[in-house]
Amino acid sequence: MSANWISTRAWLLMLPLLVVMVSVIGWPLVDTVRLSFTDAKLVGTAGSFVGIDNYAKMLTGSNFQRALVTTTWFAVVSVTAEMVLGVFAALLLNQQFRGRAALRALMILPWALPTVVNATLWRLIYNPEYGALNAALTQLGLIDSYRSWLGEPGSALTALIIADCWKNFPLVALIALAALQAVPRDITAAALVDGAGPFNRFRFVVMPYLAGPLLVALVLRTIEAFKVFDIIWVMTRGGPANSTRTLSILVYQEAFSFQRAGSGASLALIVTLLVTVLAVAYAALLRRAAGAS
Amino acid sequence: MSAVEIRNIQKRYGDVETLKGIDIVLESGEFLVLLGSSGCGKSTLLNIIAGLAEPSGGDILIGEHSVLGAHPKDRDIAMVFQSYALYPNMSVARNIGFGLEMRKVPAAEREKAVRDTAKLLQIENLLDRKPSQLSGGQRQRVAIGRALVRNPQVFLFDEPLSNLDAKLRMEMRTELKRLHQMLKTTVVYVTHDQIEAMTLATRIAVMRDGRIEQLGTPEEIYDRPATLYVAGFVGSPPMNILDAELTGRGLRIAGTEEVFPLPESLISAGAAGRRVKVGVRPEALRLATPDATGIRLTALVEVMELTGPELVTTARIGEQRITACLPPRTSLAPGSTQVFSFDEAALHLFDPDDGRSLLAK
Repeated sequence: MSANWISTRAWLLMLPLLVVMVSVIGWPLVDTVRLSFTDAKLVGTAGSFVGIDNYAKMLTGSNFQRALVTTTWFAVVSVTAEMVLGVFAALLLNQQFRGRAALRALMILPWALPTVVNATLWRLIYNPEYGALNAALTQLGLIDSYRSWLGEPGSALTALIIADCWKNFPLVALIALAALQAVPRDITAAALVDGAGPFNRFRFVVMPYLAGPLLVALVLRTIEAFKVFDIIWVMTRGGPANSTRTLSILVYQEAFSFQRAGSGASLALIVTLLVTVLAVAYAALLRRAAGAS
Repeated sequence: MSAVEIRNIQKRYGDVETLKGIDIVLESGEFLVLLGSSGCGKSTLLNIIAGLAEPSGGDILIGEHSVLGAHPKDRDIAMVFQSYALYPNMSVARNIGFGLEMRKVPAAEREKAVRDTAKLLQIENLLDRKPSQLSGGQRQRVAIGRALVRNPQVFLFDEPLSNLDAKLRMEMRTELKRLHQMLKTTVVYVTHDQIEAMTLATRIAVMRDGRIEQLGTPEEIYDRPATLYVAGFVGSPPMNILDAELTGRGLRIAGTEEVFPLPESLISAGAAGRRVKVGVRPEALRLATPDATGIRLTALVEVMELTGPELVTTARIGEQRITACLPPRTSLAPGSTQVFSFDEAALHLFDPDDGRSLLAK
């Protein structure tokens, strides 16, 4: 069989998949790029070419800038908290105690729940009239009266971040736990004999084993957090007073609520570009980390 | 002064008794080898001395103070692990100096100590490397260096040579012996390799099922094994064990008719008319010359294996097999009947029921 035929056959075998990918990813992408240079509406007008007007308007508009800040804040705070919580949970679950296996299984539960279920659950907890959080805080005497956690611009984003952390720290914990179990018992024992205390053992002995897997978790979680949509849509729809409006929410509103397909498309492409930059930066970081170890 | 005192140490995991009361007193400068097959409890005992495991009963004294419940770092011990257990992210120098670093020894002093240790182990040129860039033998040197640099009261070795290939293992064994002779340190060394035990130890504790089967110098263990187990475990090829009977006049090997007169002292060791197990080391056997004295065994030669320095010959006496280490140029043929002989002094007698030696004083 000639090399030529082998390569032809390979392409033939991949053809069905290529067709699917081009039609569901390639074409929509191309069409989105085309749309982003028009003033098309979602319904009715096909729109005419407006050059980079959409981009200029979006990038200089206060909505975009505010959403970018909100998204960055959401991503940085929730991912940081998830990493810290996750590692801490993994360290605890790596200890010997009764019921450890059951607790490990339980811990995965929040992550295994669909986001919509999780979001609904937290909306109930935050409910201003009968929410568990209000009840608990009042009974503890920490607040005087029930508050609308999701209804006040000052607390809505924080409340969302907590809900997001609760859902996503188990993933980090799971990855960290797997990494912890890869730390050879002898090395930990050697560090004990060498006189390293708990903090130094973590820093010098455990951390080198954790760093690589945690970096992967960090990459995954940051990119996901930057694209966050569903949990916010279910809990606050970007409100109150746009205080929880992240980039993805803004894209949705622009394109579908306000039916401005053209500027919505340009915004979507800007978000895509931002996430791509993040992904590329992290990939480089991962390669460097892999080279160093 | 005793360096380490192990008093009635017991260890249970649930219903399983891993250590059933171990007593050893170790003098300063001794090299004690805990020898036994896997699962005999030797590593558990070492971990208990190190403080990596807590005993279920008994006491451990290091430098005449009880260290029960003390943290490993406070026991003045250093440990070398089978897997080397080097910190993969640190350089060789930092690996060696890590214990000193954790004990807040000033950097200059630490550096000097690391350098001196590296020189002693001939790994000065490796100080800047990472463990992943080292060979197995080099890693083991670094692991030993990490223990040496702290100059502790007791060194604990957990099968340190078993990950090395045969040639390197011999080199490192000699190296360890050299270091011990030079530094006169107190060592507790765990191994299942009887050659390592014989060559390195000043005393050997042969362990079996959580008990000490015999504690003695290598010569005692080899020349006067206290039990059948020790006799079979130490020595390669292992000691020949034959069924026999003590008669009023002497010894009769099962499957033979001849009775060999034994000195009164040997016969009285066991009661006349009783069954015994006879032990004789393969290297004590030789081909009998017509005027040979001692005990003679007529056997059918089955297999001969030339190892180089000796000809390991397997032969059959009735239903029983014996192995003899003969000079390499011995001319023998498989299937031939030969007479082997050995001196009375090389004879061991064991109780067939409890395996204890009948010659022990």
